[in-house]
Amino acid sequence: MSSQDGLEHELDVLLAKAGATVPPHLKGGILAGYRDMKVMAAKVRQPRTAASEPSNVFSLKGFARTE
Amino acid sequence: MAKLLHELSIAEAGRALRAGTVSSVALTQHALSRIASVDPLLHSFVLVTKERALADAERADRELESGIDKGPLHGVPYALKDIYSTAGIRTTCHSKLLLDHVPTEDSVVETKLKAGGAVLLGKLATHEFAFGGPSFDLPFPPARNPWNPHHFTGGSSSGSGAAVAAGFTRMAMGSDTGGSIRGPAFYCGVVGLKPTYGRVSRRGVFPLSYTLDHCGPLTWTVEDTALTMQVIAGYDPQDPASADLPVDNFTQGLGQDLAGLKIAYPRSFFAKSVGVTEEVIASLDAAAQEVAKLGATVTEITLPDYDIFNSCGRVIIAAESYAIHEEELLTRPLDYGRYTYQRMMVGATLSAADLVQAFRLRRELTALLNGEVLKTYDAMITANGLSAAPRFDEFDPNMPPKMTIQTMPFNVTGNPVLAIPTGFSKSGLPLGMQIVGRAFDEATVLRVGSAYEAAAGSIHKRPELELPIAV
Repeated sequence: MSSQDGLEHELDVLLAKAGATVPPHLKGGILAGYRDMKVMAAKVRQPRTAASEPSNVFSLKGFARTE
Repeated sequence: MAKLLHELSIAEAGRALRAGTVSSVALTQHALSRIASVDPLLHSFVLVTKERALADAERADRELESGIDKGPLHGVPYALKDIYSTAGIRTTCHSKLLLDHVPTEDSVVETKLKAGGAVLLGKLATHEFAFGGPSFDLPFPPARNPWNPHHFTGGSSSGSGAAVAAGFTRMAMGSDTGGSIRGPAFYCGVVGLKPTYGRVSRRGVFPLSYTLDHCGPLTWTVEDTALTMQVIAGYDPQDPASADLPVDNFTQGLGQDLAGLKIAYPRSFFAKSVGVTEEVIASLDAAAQEVAKLGATVTEITLPDYDIFNSCGRVIIAAESYAIHEEELLTRPLDYGRYTYQRMMVGATLSAADLVQAFRLRRELTALLNGEVLKTYDAMITANGLSAAPRFDEFDPNMPPKMTIQTMPFNVTGNPVLAIPTGFSKSGLPLGMQIVGRAFDEATVLRVGSAYEAAAGSIHKRPELELPIAV
């Protein structure tokens, strides 16, 4: 299997998992976007400790009683 | 030489309205005539609200005559990107999916503009849901560039950029998730501000990416952007991203030189990028020299690679836009434009870990820009587009095009950015730069832009449009 075929198979699996039935004439553009997105998703993985960067914390201050 | 009515800035029109030398009805009728005459070439409007505009204008004239003054936009015509909800007025997001959608409530920005006595001319073309495009398979054609209608306007605030450049309106509201205000500002040769994340409420504006969306104006002059911000900025407790901070005086630094300011210039950030043209690099170098001549200290710095910022933003936008559109993408794929569907479906391939890692990186990049760079420097200037506007026929109809603008980094970090023209390419198309500021320091960004604008003089050249009527 060529790397292109492998990438397309990967995309097919992910789209099926999402429940998507992609019209065949639109698939080429999604495949090109998926190829780029794989590279970008790899770039957001930086060397970090497990405790670094609590970006997904949220605050309940706005819901707290003020009186 | 006296200016034509559509060439009056918001500030100039405001003075004339208050002096009684022009009426809001005259400004509005002039704009409507110009739109009717020229916009069939440019397609910047998807809906012209003529009756509403004339009623707004008549009311403004009555109010101003009786001494009621609602602020800098009172009696001044404007237009909205068609993702801003307008009560009783169709809001389509340029999509077949919302072709008959008539909201019952106004967006917060529209509420503020109405309260400020401004005059709504209509709704403007956008890339579908602020993400597709440029597309020819949507209910409305794409807006075209007033400097050359064969060329792209940039997007997604495509109609906003075109309408301001064509002189249809002095101010158009846009939105910016990865560069959708600044791209059209660059390609169409106008001023555009992406305010700080949280400065302007997004409530009532159709979301593309909850944590990257910003609302802001496009105008012909920096002063007009500052005056618009005075009306639209402010805390909204119902927008979770809104910042509970006082509204600054955005005009306070206008007209000053730049003495004492320290400006960072990350030249390698754009000069080493694939696709950057020599004329863009030369234009930025000249702009940096001009800023130095105005009294600022300009220092070349280095930033992390653009690709790191861009990857962070692209992962977030793909995940968040897919989450917003998931149901319709799965059930009505053919009702989306080709490019919109193809771009959004990529979000289905991301994992939860991908998004969490992107959020973590965003915090790191934001800390770096605000801590290491903007703690030392008052502002930063960098490239916007890497080349002048491409022709529409350069795009592959089967593949969504990649955009060559370097705007995403500041959606990721949330900093305020002013897009401002710097001149023209050899082919006569606009070029420009970005001025990046500290969080919630739009005033300094506008000060730098205003001083540069006055010195560079590109404000005085307008597109030569064929006008069959004398407007």
